[in-house]
Amino acid sequence: MSNRVEAFLGLSAELTAFSRFDLLGTGLAERYLGTLDTVVGGEITDMLLAAFVALPPPEDGTRAQALRATILGSELLGDVARALIKLWYSGTWFELPYAWTQRFGPKSADATFVVSPDAYIEGLLWKAIGAHPAGAKAPGYGSWAYPPKIPTFPGSPTSKPDAVSVHPQNAGIMS
Amino acid sequence: MLFPSESALRADPQAVAGSSDYDIVIVGSGISGAIIAKQAAEAGKRVLVLEAGTGVNRSLVGYDDLLTTFYSAATKDNQSPFPVNANAAMPRSPQLRKLQAGETDSSTYIVQSGPYVSDTTYTRIFGGTTMHWEAKTPRMLRSDFKSRTNFGQGLDWPLSFEEIEEDYRLAEQEIGVSADVEDQSYLGQTFPDDYVFPMRGLPLSYLDQQVNNGIDGTSVDLYGQIYPLKVRPYPQARNGIPNPAYDGGRGYRPIGAVDTHQVEEGGRCQGNTNCVPLCPVQARYHSGKTLAKAFRIRGKSGQSLVELLPQAVASKVVIDPDSGKVVALEVKVYNDSASPAHETITVKGKVFVLAAGAIETARLMLSSGLRSTSGLVGRNLMDHAYLLNWALMPQICGTMRGTSSTGGIVDLRDGPFREKQAAFAIDIHNDGWGWATGAPTSDLLELVDDRNLYGADLRRGLIDRISRQLLLAVMLEVLPVESNRITVDPQFTDALGNMRPILSFTVPEYTMRGAAYARQFSRTVFARLGAQDHTSYAPSDFGYVAYEGQGYAIRGGNHLAGTHIMGTTKTNSVVDRNQRSWDHENLYLVGGGSMPTIGTANVTLTLAAMCFRSGRDILKYLH
Ligand SMILES: Cc1cc2nc3c(=O)[nH]c(=O)nc-3n(C[C@H](O)[C@H](O)[C@H](O)COP(=O)(O)OP(=O)(O)OC[C@H]3O[C@@H](n4cnc5c(N)ncnc54)[C@H](O)[C@@H]3O)c2cc1C
Ligand code: SF4
Repeated sequence: MSNRVEAFLGLSAELTAFSRFDLLGTGLAERYLGTLDTVVGGEITDMLLAAFVALPPPEDGTRAQALRATILGSELLGDVARALIKLWYSGTWFELPYAWTQRFGPKSADATFVVSPDAYIEGLLWKAIGAHPAGAKAPGYGSWAYPPKIPTFPGSPTSKPDAVSVHPQNAGIMS
Repeated sequence: MLFPSESALRADPQAVAGSSDYDIVIVGSGISGAIIAKQAAEAGKRVLVLEAGTGVNRSLVGYDDLLTTFYSAATKDNQSPFPVNANAAMPRSPQLRKLQAGETDSSTYIVQSGPYVSDTTYTRIFGGTTMHWEAKTPRMLRSDFKSRTNFGQGLDWPLSFEEIEEDYRLAEQEIGVSADVEDQSYLGQTFPDDYVFPMRGLPLSYLDQQVNNGIDGTSVDLYGQIYPLKVRPYPQARNGIPNPAYDGGRGYRPIGAVDTHQVEEGGRCQGNTNCVPLCPVQARYHSGKTLAKAFRIRGKSGQSLVELLPQAVASKVVIDPDSGKVVALEVKVYNDSASPAHETITVKGKVFVLAAGAIETARLMLSSGLRSTSGLVGRNLMDHAYLLNWALMPQICGTMRGTSSTGGIVDLRDGPFREKQAAFAIDIHNDGWGWATGAPTSDLLELVDDRNLYGADLRRGLIDRISRQLLLAVMLEVLPVESNRITVDPQFTDALGNMRPILSFTVPEYTMRGAAYARQFSRTVFARLGAQDHTSYAPSDFGYVAYEGQGYAIRGGNHLAGTHIMGTTKTNSVVDRNQRSWDHENLYLVGGGSMPTIGTANVTLTLAAMCFRSGRDILKYLH
C-alpha cells in the first residue's frame, strides 16, 4: 500500500473513530481518496495528508488540539476534512460551502453526489448506530424487536441499552 | 423470477388498436386494475391493461435498476427510485413551496391552486403506487361506514361493513397480510371465529416496545370519555411467517421475492427499513405480484388472456351520445420517456375500467368533458392529513431498524368525540425523524458542520442523536367537502398535451380541531415517556395551516379518495355501490376515488376489497 493511502487511512480513522480495518472492509478507501483527488485536486489532498502526518504522535497530549488547529480549523483544509467525514459516514460527497468556493475557487466536480451505489450501502453511519443502510444489508426477520447491537469503540459510552424485553404478545413469534 | 420469462408482455400498439375483442380494457396497472384483471382472466375474459408509465420494472433487472437509482440518488426524495418521465409525470415533494393568498403554482406536475399545498403523491409506473407504498393494511372500522348516522359528520357509505367484510378477507388473501386477530380485535373490530390472517403479525420494534412500556396502562380523557393507551401492531402487506391455520389449516404460501442475491427466507421481510420508497427483496406486496398470476392465465388457444400495453397514456374517454356507453379510449403511446413523440391509437372493448388512481381517473374524466350528472367528478377529494411530532427518548431505542412502522397508538380511531373532531391513528416511525427532518443525514450534517464533532465524539453524538429518535406521525381523518377538488384547464398541460390535474384544497376545520388535540395528545405521550419534544412547525412550511392561534405543518397522506364518490343515486354520486358509473353503463371508475369517507384506515385494503366486488359485477354485466 502506498504511503499516500496509508496516510489517508490514518487520517480517516482519526476523523471517523472507525479502525483502519473497518475502513478497509468497506472496499472504498482508494475510491474515496480518488474522490478527494478528483473534487478538490491532488495538491489540496496532499496538503491535507501532509498536515495529518505532521501531527504530534498519539501519545502526545497535544495531538487533538493540533488536529483542530491545523486540519479542522484550517481555512483551506477544514471544510475538506469535514466533507471527508461526511463521505465516510454517508457515501455522499457534500458540496463544499459557498464561502470555501468563493475563497479558493470553484472546483468543477464539486457537487453533491453519491460516489457509487455501494458507497451508500457501506456508509459508516449505519454501523455506528447498530442499524443497516435503508435498503440493503438486511439484518433479518424480527431483528428489530431486539435492542440494537451498537458496536463499541475506544471512547464509546459504557451504558448499554436495557436488557431484551420482547413484548409478551410477540414473544412466541420470535422463537 | 416473478414473471414468466417468455412474457413478451408488451402488446403491440397496432395490434391493440386493430383488436375489437377485448372484454375489458383497464387503465392502470396498480392494485385496483390488477385485481380486476386477474379476476376477469380467471373467468376466461380477454383483458387489456393500459399503463401510462414504463414497464421496465416488470423484470428482475428492471426492478434492480430502480434500486440502483435509489442508492445513487443524492437526495432520497419520496420518488427517488422512479426516474423522471414527463410523458407520465408524477408529483415530487421537494419542488413545493408555500403559496401567497390567491396564488396558483403551476411549476410542479400537480398545479397547486391552494390555499393548502399538498405534497401528496402517487407513482406512475408498472405496478402503480404499490411499487412505492408503506403497506400498512388496517380495515376501516364498522362505524366508519356510517359517519353521518353515527356522528352527524361526513357521509354514510351505500355499503355496510358486513357487506364488504368478505371482500376484506379476499383482499387480505391477495395482498398477503401479516397480522394476528388478537391484536386487531380492538374498538369493536370482530372476525369470524375461525379466521386468521394469511401470515402471523410482524413483531413490534424495540422502539415500539419502549414506547409501550411508558404508556401501557395509562389513559387519556376526551370530552369525559376515557381512552386507554397502548402500542398495537399494524397489519402489514409484507411477508411474515405464514400462519399454518390459514384457510382451514391449508396454510398460506407467500409470493416470494424475485431478487436473486437477497432471497433467503422465501422473501420474508428482513427489516431493511426501506419499505418506502422501494423494498429491495419484494417482501412488501406490489401489484406486479397479482399481475404475474394474471399473466399466467391462458385462453383456449394458449395465449395469455391478459395483455399489457405500457407507455400508453389514456387521454380521452369517447362516449356514444345516444346510449351514453363508452365506445373507445384514445390512448397516446410513446416510445421513449425522454421524448414527447407519440402516436394516438383508439382502443375498443366491451367494458372499460378506469383504475388510474383518484387524481388521474378524475383528470381523465374531466379532460374528456365528463363531469357526470351529479357534477361530482373531481370533487370531495380526500387524503389523510398527517401531523408529525418528534422527540428524543431518554434511552437508546435502536431507531432506524425494522419496517417503516410496526406499531402505533390507534385507540383514538373511534369514539363519540367524532361528533366534534377528527379521529386519528398514530404510527411510530422506526425510521426516526426522517420524514420530519431528513434524519439521519440531517443529523450527520449538523453534528459535523455545526457542532464540530469528529472521531469518538462524533460517533457518540450520532448514537445519542439518532438511536433515541421517536416520531409520532398522526394520521387524521379528513371528510368529504365538495370544494376540495381536482379540476383541469387547457392552459396547464403535460409533455403529451394532456391536461394536468389542478388541486384546490382547504384542510377542513373538523380535521384541524383533531390536529390541535393530536398535538396536545403527543405532548402528553412525550411527557409520560420523559422524551424531549423537538417538534416545531415553521410558518414558511408549504403545508403550514394556522388554527386558533397556533400553526401546524400538515403533510399529505398519499391516501387519495373521493373524486368519483360512491352513493345511492346518480344525483348524489358518480358511481354506484359496485363502482359502476351511473351515467355510462359499461364504465367502472375504481379505486380510492369511489370512497365516500376514509376514516382512519390507510385506504388500500378497502379499495382492494371494493375491486373484488366490482370484478364480480363486471362479469355479471358481461353475461
Ligand atoms: C409513500 C406512500 C405510502 C403509502 N402507504 C400506504 C399504506 O401504508 N397503506 C395503504 O393502504 N396505502 C398506502 N399508500 C397508498 C396506496 O399506495 C394507494 O392507495 C394504492 O396504491 C392505490 O392503488 P390504485 O391501483 O388505485 O392506484 P395506483 O397505484 O396509483 O395506480 C394507478 C395506475 O394507473 C396508471 N395511470 C395513471 N394515469 C394513466 C393514464 N392516463 N393512462 C394509463 N395509465 C395511467 C399509473 O401509472 C398507475 O400505474 C401509500 C402511498 C404512497 C405514495
Ligand atoms: S423492512 Fe425491508 S424487507 Fe421488510 S418490507 Fe420493508 S423494505 Fe422490504
